[in-house]
Amino acid sequence: MIDSLVNLLGFSAHDPLFWMPLVFMAVLFAVITAGALLDGFDIGVGCLLLLAPTGSRTRMMVLLGPWRDANAYWLFLGLGLFVSVFPKAWGDIMEPLYLPLTLMALGVLIRFVSFELRLRAPVELQSPWIRGFAIGSVMTALAHGLLLAQLIVGSGPQMGNLAFSAFIGICVLAAYALLGATWLIMREAGHLRIRAIVWGRQAVRWVAAGAVAVSIVLALSNTGVFLRWSDGPPLGAVAAIWVVLFVCFMSIEITLRRMVNASLRTTALPFLMTWLVFVLILAGIAYSFFPYLVLDNITIWDAAASVDSMRLILAGAIVALPVAFIFNLWVYWSMLGPTRPPQPRPYAPNQA
Amino acid sequence: MTNASLWLTQIHFLVSLGFLTLFLLIELGLSWTLLFFKLGAHFTKGPGWIAAYRFWVRVFALASVLAFAASIPVLIQIGSLWPGLMDRIGNIAGPLIAAAILTTFIFKSCFLGAMLFGQRQLSDRVHTLVVAMVAVGVTLASLCMVILQSWMQTPTGSVLINGEYLVMNWADIAGNPSMPWLAALLGSGAALTAAFLLLGVSARQSMRHPLSEGELLSFRTGQHLALGAGLVLTLALVGYGQDMAQHQPAKAAATMGYWKTGAATDFPLVGWPDAARQETRYALRLPGAAASWLGQDTQGQSLGLDRYAGMHAPVSATFWSFRIAWAASLFMVLMAIASYLRLRRHDGDPAHLSRTSRRLLSASMFTGWVLGAAILCHVLLGLSPWAVNNTVTLAEVSATQPAALLSAGLLVHALVYLIFVGAFYQLLRHISHYGVIPVARRRGRA
Repeated sequence: MIDSLVNLLGFSAHDPLFWMPLVFMAVLFAVITAGALLDGFDIGVGCLLLLAPTGSRTRMMVLLGPWRDANAYWLFLGLGLFVSVFPKAWGDIMEPLYLPLTLMALGVLIRFVSFELRLRAPVELQSPWIRGFAIGSVMTALAHGLLLAQLIVGSGPQMGNLAFSAFIGICVLAAYALLGATWLIMREAGHLRIRAIVWGRQAVRWVAAGAVAVSIVLALSNTGVFLRWSDGPPLGAVAAIWVVLFVCFMSIEITLRRMVNASLRTTALPFLMTWLVFVLILAGIAYSFFPYLVLDNITIWDAAASVDSMRLILAGAIVALPVAFIFNLWVYWSMLGPTRPPQPRPYAPNQA
Repeated sequence: MTNASLWLTQIHFLVSLGFLTLFLLIELGLSWTLLFFKLGAHFTKGPGWIAAYRFWVRVFALASVLAFAASIPVLIQIGSLWPGLMDRIGNIAGPLIAAAILTTFIFKSCFLGAMLFGQRQLSDRVHTLVVAMVAVGVTLASLCMVILQSWMQTPTGSVLINGEYLVMNWADIAGNPSMPWLAALLGSGAALTAAFLLLGVSARQSMRHPLSEGELLSFRTGQHLALGAGLVLTLALVGYGQDMAQHQPAKAAATMGYWKTGAATDFPLVGWPDAARQETRYALRLPGAAASWLGQDTQGQSLGLDRYAGMHAPVSATFWSFRIAWAASLFMVLMAIASYLRLRRHDGDPAHLSRTSRRLLSASMFTGWVLGAAILCHVLLGLSPWAVNNTVTLAEVSATQPAALLSAGLLVHALVYLIFVGAFYQLLRHISHYGVIPVARRRGRA
């Protein structure tokens, strides 16, 4: 595949003009995936706050606490990398997406600030900020769905597009809710887990419908994408992906149904399966788009900044990303599995 | 692209960037103040330093949260409001934005958490070092943004080929003529904002109860910081004006409300720039002070707005934002001097001020924001109709969103920003009345 690209573009494979955008695309994909997976359960739990009884809301917010500031950086990092490495696609992508982007920017702003304000506000002023966090999360999730839909079908004002956008918006909201619910199931026992099971079972159907709709519309509304998937080896991959997706959805559904009866046992299975679904769908979309940033119009090489600028950014990224990686491993390592209460330090009166 | 939607786009962006700037000023000013408190605790062992640190670190944490969150709408709006901008300046803006973001990312993830939540786990020395690193990180990230903005004011070290800027020399880009002045304005503005926050909060506390050691220290620090930063700011404003006269004569002419090229003598202190009659009416003028504030042509005549065929900034906005900035800074300098002189013999205890002056101090808590907003307006609006001075216009890079959509977006943004500014104030008032609540957070536990 690299060879055919090299031939097509007329670069040498060692030309930085050729490989640098590829490297950055890979990094960007990693950041987007990490954002969807790690910020995803955060958004999901935020959306579920609206359904949760008042008594459990504080507990749900507290559960999110340890990862909140790490989660918030993914979008920031992704946006920054994108604008600096692919400046010539930035405007073309952003301009038609003003509405969903505004929704997303405000959603992210509201949820981030609300979370921190709740943490620092006196108890009697906390409940409006919990509501703010929930509303911000729903806005963010819907905006992600609208962005996805508009990237796939373009942003024409036709009725079909609007209906599709609304449908995908709801499906993505459900996907985040599923992620949040399965995470809660894994983290917390008791009545919160039982509620989470019910939420998860309701969400999983919408997610499955959304996955099917995204794939079909992406393939049918765009000949290039259809050809890419239906010719030769990818056809086998299509079959494999569908089998895996089917297994994921079924196993999530079956585990959740069983857990209704035996909710005392903890399990990470539905959460990991939901992660797998996210990764597969994102990878599928990335493969369909590659090497385009705007479908059939701007490739990553058209959009890239000059080699000198990219080299500078790469140097910065080589310093920053390992730090990010180590920091995140340290932060996230205890994210899986049930929650443990913090241990008070042993009392030692002679130490400061 | 109609004129109205271009204006709306500009205001939309200005509002988002303004919200970011307000909290960046507090974050930047307080980060160094906190380091000062930590060092004070280190060297004098007085109990007040730690109390002052404990109180103001909460305000700092909240401001840094708001500044960070505010940067996401700004980042997105660079694309959605100015879609053509990055096509043209991407090679220069890209690395600078990346540097700012990676710096923020590294310094926040490594040090901010340790500073806010790890004081018990770290030794005192290491914690002071962490506080210093946080201050350095905020400063570096803001410096990147200052370089980008000042380069757009006075583009050097780069060349425009086929509608796209290419880098010639990074040192010239970073050291463009307006960079030192904008950096000085941001730095001293941040210090002054933080100083008046310290003064205002402590003055308000002194009306409710006698000040504790830590609150007294905050007040004294605020006094000295206000004196020093006020001096630097005044000099920086003068330097910024002279630099503008030399490198951006159109902006200088708009700032002075100077319409017709000729031998300028009088400096209009206040007045009403009337675009229809091409003159500044009802002006109160300072005789013989104008020449160095205006650009000169080869015959030694001062350049007026008639030389620019309409390609100059909106005169009233530029004229007034500059004067508001001056008024705010002079007000703050006078307040600082007056309170210093009054309390020189009383060990800087605001209890010796009259109730009215304390109320005045507490009411001018956010004068730094007025100053910051005015300077930002002058810097950004004074550059229009250019996005990059004399080469790239705003109209050619601007989005073609319908005006209704823009107004709705602007309205919603403004509303959300207002709510958060209100919440910040509410929380500040709450902690200044009842003291701080410790916030604990453990990574990986819940």
